[in-house]
Amino acid sequence: MTPTHFAFSSTFLLGLAGLAFHRTHLLSALLCLEGMMLSLFIALSLWTLQLNSVSFSASPMLLLAFSACEASAGLALLVATARTHGTDRLQSLNLLQC
Amino acid sequence: MVYVMFMFLFGLVLGLAAVASNPSPYFAALGLVAVAGMGCGVLVGHGGSFLSLVLFLIYLGGMLVVFAYSAALAAEPYPEGWGSWPVLGVMMAYMVGVCAAAGLFWGGWYKGAWVSADEFAEFSVFRGDIGGVALMYSVGGGVLAMGAWVLLLTLFVVLELTRGLSRGALRAV
Repeated sequence: MTPTHFAFSSTFLLGLAGLAFHRTHLLSALLCLEGMMLSLFIALSLWTLQLNSVSFSASPMLLLAFSACEASAGLALLVATARTHGTDRLQSLNLLQC
Repeated sequence: MVYVMFMFLFGLVLGLAAVASNPSPYFAALGLVAVAGMGCGVLVGHGGSFLSLVLFLIYLGGMLVVFAYSAALAAEPYPEGWGSWPVLGVMMAYMVGVCAAAGLFWGGWYKGAWVSADEFAEFSVFRGDIGGVALMYSVGGGVLAMGAWVLLLTLFVVLELTRGLSRGALRAV
């Protein structure tokens, strides 16, 4: 265990805890997901850089592309709920009629 | 350099604890910007200058701007930052948890990890991460095609989700 490994592992777990425990806004949950993706990007980049395996450095780029897809789908859901419900609070999303 | 790296790593953990402690989305987006900046510093310290540039330009410049713009949809009359007590308490609880987990590994750190990429490759013309990404554009045609397909599919998913006039996926009742 090196300090960098501990740092990105704890950032991933902090993002997961924030996603699991605090769900006031939908955007807060999406930001915690983005934090998890950011820690995964840093983890894959550090794997490349510390092991000098340069042909692996394409994988953080692909992870960034896929996380862009995830972020855009989540923000589209945010816009759709803001249009139908008027807010993005998760308490108001389980109403049967809005 | 070791002190600068420790500062960047501590800023990374502290920034994500600030994001995860449930502040208002304005402040959470600001915290994620700080986390991305600290991550750029970590990658530069390990010798990955091109990956750090990608993180700074694509992630911070492209995606987080959209997130900060979308914070306007989650506007609150009284936004709650880290000055209010519940948010600060949760953030301090997270940091105490991280420090307790660091205490478990204290003394057993492997100190040889500060070697950056291409440290022992003298007379190398290009950096390692630039060569790796160029390798993806050289022989990684299949996975590039898959990435382009996924991005195109996401475009249609977004258009379908946000389509109005009661024809979208989520309908205005």
